[in-house]
Amino acid sequence: MDEYQTEEETAFIVEDVSKVIKESVEVAIGGSTYQHSRVNQWSTSVVEQCLSQLSKMGKPFKYIVTCIIMQKNGAGLQTASACFWDNSTDGSCAVRWENKSMYCIVSVFGLAI
Amino acid sequence: MTGMEEYHNSSEGSFSSEEADVIVKECVDNVVGGEDYSQSQVNKWTSSIVERCLTQLVKHWKQNKYIVTCAVMQKTGGGLHTANSCYWDTTMDGSCTVRWENRTMYCVVSVFAVAVA
Repeated sequence: MDEYQTEEETAFIVEDVSKVIKESVEVAIGGSTYQHSRVNQWSTSVVEQCLSQLSKMGKPFKYIVTCIIMQKNGAGLQTASACFWDNSTDGSCAVRWENKSMYCIVSVFGLAI
Repeated sequence: MTGMEEYHNSSEGSFSSEEADVIVKECVDNVVGGEDYSQSQVNKWTSSIVERCLTQLVKHWKQNKYIVTCAVMQKTGGGLHTANSCYWDTTMDGSCTVRWENRTMYCVVSVFAVAVA
């Protein structure tokens, strides 16, 4: 039973991470309108908030959090990522969020130590 | 002392941001250099870019785990902002971000190299 619990504590759980991301984005930019002068501060806020919540989970992972904020202007945006890691222990989670004036795409990559 | 310097300069040593920068620029040039933004092709381009970069990086420094991300955006005057934050071992892990553009699009590629214990 102890071994089973250890596995839970050391696995990358996409649902939990997804929740953390959604909350962090809401807190940082929920209800805001795209503003060139503030977007720098917002994207920094989003990644820092995510990272602090993730490290509080106390799991043995290194994390990389990326955030893209794009003004809704009719432009096309395509993102891709590729990873060279250990499939059995590492994981990632991406969340796409939007409001009337902007898109926000956050990706979290967790690498087991 | 001379021996140690030579080791650090060798590309078989640890991840180097400067060298990774060169590798990434080459990959991007090879995939989208000379192309105009095309909605039907952009999916293929971003996949190509990340796969190529990953292959080249692993060839140079096999001992790390890698994450490569790529964003391609059409130039229409809209604003785009990206940010990254990493929770890792600052002495052993590293990253590199390359911003590339041509007349019709922007391409931002980020590479994260994480040392394996």
